[in-house]
Parts: sequence; structure tokens; C-alpha cells
Amino acid sequence: MDAERLYEAAGRIEGVERLLSSADSRIELAPGEERRIVAVHDRRDAAELSVELGEGARLHLVELFTSEAFRTLKLRQRSGSSADVTILQLGSANLDCTVDLDGPEAESRVNGLFLAADGDHCEFALRTNHNAGDCRSESLVKGVAGGKSTGEFRGLVYVAPDAQRTDARQTSRNIELGDEARILTKPQLEIYADDVKCSHGATVGQLDGEAILYMRQRGLTDRQARRLQIEGFAADVADRCAIAELAETLREAVAAQLENM
Amino acid sequence: MLTVKNLHASVGDKEILRGIDLEVRAGEVHAIMGPNGSGKSTLASVLAGNEKFTVTAGEVEFLGRNLLEMPIEDRARLGLFLGFQYPVEIPGVSMANFMKQAVNEHRKFRGEEPLTASQFLKLMREKSAVVELDAKLTSRAVNEGFSGGEKKKNEIFQMAMLDPKLAILDETDSGLDIDALRIVATGVTKLHTPENATVVITHYQRLLDYIVPDYVHVLYKGRIIHSGDKTLALKLEKEGYDWLINDYEG
Repeated sequence: MDAERLYEAAGRIEGVERLLSSADSRIELAPGEERRIVAVHDRRDAAELSVELGEGARLHLVELFTSEAFRTLKLRQRSGSSADVTILQLGSANLDCTVDLDGPEAESRVNGLFLAADGDHCEFALRTNHNAGDCRSESLVKGVAGGKSTGEFRGLVYVAPDAQRTDARQTSRNIELGDEARILTKPQLEIYADDVKCSHGATVGQLDGEAILYMRQRGLTDRQARRLQIEGFAADVADRCAIAELAETLREAVAAQLENM
Repeated sequence: MLTVKNLHASVGDKEILRGIDLEVRAGEVHAIMGPNGSGKSTLASVLAGNEKFTVTAGEVEFLGRNLLEMPIEDRARLGLFLGFQYPVEIPGVSMANFMKQAVNEHRKFRGEEPLTASQFLKLMREKSAVVELDAKLTSRAVNEGFSGGEKKKNEIFQMAMLDPKLAILDETDSGLDIDALRIVATGVTKLHTPENATVVITHYQRLLDYIVPDYVHVLYKGRIIHSGDKTLALKLEKEGYDWLINDYEG
């Protein structure tokens, strides 16, 4: 239902293209072109999307998974282009995303969230290749695992030998809701240039007991307090949605999935 | 309203409260003072229902109910408010959303209908004025990035929203500059009515210039060793606790 709702909501926004994921697709953005694309994965399948961004092109891409799909995403960016990508995995899914920043002053922004309920397995792999100098990349991937579930984030930022003045930031934040939930996070940096600003951070934690106590003192039940805290943790990925008009629909989809966790 | 009899409480195997007796009636303001480590914050936490502490003996009755049997949220809904010494930051959870759930849980407990969105917004506006809380703060995440003064104002704002029968304010004055102290203390005073009661835990007499107590109690080693009226706080400010402690230990 979430997939349908997002698909419908996207249809109501002018200039947003919709993709159903069953087939491989290849998209080219002409120099200076701007495109907004929503891809919905609501069946078990495997499909590749590759996008070539010409000079100064701008891509806004939202990918929603509501079924166990395998997705390969390849973005190749020429100079001065920018790609803003939002990825939401509501349950088992497998994403393998590679971003190639081939021309100077290209920008990549990836915001991701996976919610693994009991029995789910989420995989999120993101490789960002800084092949040219003066590019920026920023990624934030959050994960929540409940019940007996697993989640895995693998992130790699590669900086080529002549990609000077690279600015790369990679963040992975995760919450395990119980003793049987497992999240593995592997953020890596591979840097061959010397004039770069790169940072990466990864955390796996539990809910904050002090915050739960605080909310209960104001009258919320333990369950409500936990729920509010997880929602707060997850919501900012929706808030940063690459297509701002869809943020509310994503937030609702997240809230609905949290009911199952 | 609140009757505490011979209350003992521990954390782990360390006994912190060692026989507290306290009676708070509607319309009263009590101040609890005492040296560091005497058990003031523990008393507040135990009354609020913090599960970190184990009650090993004694009774607490609040509005005719056995308080110690109730979970923390039911104590809150029945009308017990604890102003935290260190209000917690909750990233991603907006003040408005949090307060809306809290207010409506209180209403549900009393068998009342939840507030509509416009009623709720009106209430927020009205109550944020009590502590001169910047309206912008109520659209931000709970306490996140708030200054020390804003956090404490935010505690009193929440107290105003929830309209408790008994408010226990745990060192609400600590870390406040003179202006914030005045605003917070005046806010508390404005909220005081003949039907509710306030217990302020403080180190300093200066708060009591604004919130004038009917009773002042001195807590030491987990017991109330002395009680008096507001003049006791002035005497403590001038002479410290030694005269009481020596008397007690002697």
C-alpha cells in the first residue's frame, strides 16, 4: 500500500517521472537538464538503473522498497552536476549503489533509511568514487532493526590520486531495538589524494533510556515513548527527501512500518 | 494531597533515603534544601517513579492512591509532575508532537476527549507566554540545542500545559542567570493555586525570594532533620547547615 500511495502521490506532482522497477533502465540527463524521478519496488525482482548526468545536470531521485527487491543503482556524474538521492527500505531489500563523480565540482547527496522488522534482512551498499577533484559527497544512512532481524550498511568513499580538494562525508547511524536485532556497519575510506577533507562516522546503539523515562514522566506509555523516539530518529531522512513534496508521504510510510516493529 | 511515611529507598545496595516523612496539602509550597548527596534528587525521582531506585520500606499516598504501586506514567497522569534537573534532549521529536501526546494521554486518563488541533495550538500559545518561551522553540525538537535557561523554561512550560496537582521541581534554579531565574520562578508562582501544591528542591535561598515557601525542610543523610518556615532558608543562607548537622550528629 505504501508503494502505491507513494506512486500516486508522485503522479500528482508536476514534472515527476515514475518508474516501476521490474525492468532495467538507462537514463541520460542532457547538460543543464533537471529531472525528478521516483522508483517504487513493490515486488521481488532485480533491476538496474543507470543514470548519466551531463555537465551541470541535476537529478532528484527517490527509491522506495516495500518488497525484497535487488536494486543496482549506477550514477555517473559529469562536471558541475548534482544528484540528490533518497532511499527508503521498508523491510527486506538489497541495494547496491555506485556513484562516480567523473568531472570537477560534481555533488552527490545520498540519504538512506532501512527499517528491518522481525525476520527482515536489509542490505545497503554505497560506493562513492571521487574520480575528479573538487567534488563533494555527503551520505547519511540510518538503520533500525527490531525483533529478530539484520541490517547491513557497507559504505566506501574512494578518492583517486588526482582528486584533490575532495570533500566527502559519510555517516551511518543505527538503532537495535532488542537483543536479537543485529546491525552491521562498515564505513570505509580509501584515499589516494593528499589534499582532501574526508570524514566518516558510524554508530550502533539502543534507544535512550533517559529520554524514555522523561517522556513517561510526562504521561506517555513506554511504548509511545519508544515509538516517538524511533520516529524522531527515522523522520529526518524523510525530511531531507530529494523531492520535498514527497516528504510527508515518506514520513507516513515510515510511521506505518514502525507499527510492525 | 501527598503523604510520605517512613520512606526508604536504595540504588543497588546503597540506601539513600532512610525514613522520610512528609505531608503536603493543597495550596502549599514546600522547599527541600540540604547539602549535596543528602538524597534530595533521589526523593524526587522515587516519588516520580524512576525504576532505577528500589523502595525498601514506607508508604506514599497521593490523592488517596497508593503511589508506589503505580507506573511512572500513571503517576504523571494522576497529576504528579517532576521538573528535571537535567532535562533530556530528544532529537527528531518535536515539542508540539510530544506535548500533544502528553496532554491527550492526561485527558484520556480523566475520561476526556482529546483536544482538536486548534484547541491544542491555542493552549500552546497561552502556556508558552507564562514562561516567555519563544514560540519558535515549541516547533523544535525537545530540548535539542536549547540553552540551559531555555531547557528550564521549557520544563515550566510543560508543567503549565499539563496543569499538575503536585509539581516537584528538582533544582530548577541551577544554572540559571538572574533573568531566567526570575522568569522561571514567576512562571511557577503564576501557576500556583489553592488547589495545587509545589515542592521545590533547591540549594539556594535566592529562588525562594520569588517562590515563597510555607515550609522549609532540611534533608541530610536521607532524613528530614529539621523543618521550619521561610525564615529557616534565610538562616541557612547565612549560617550554612553545620549547626543543624552538628545538632543531629551530636
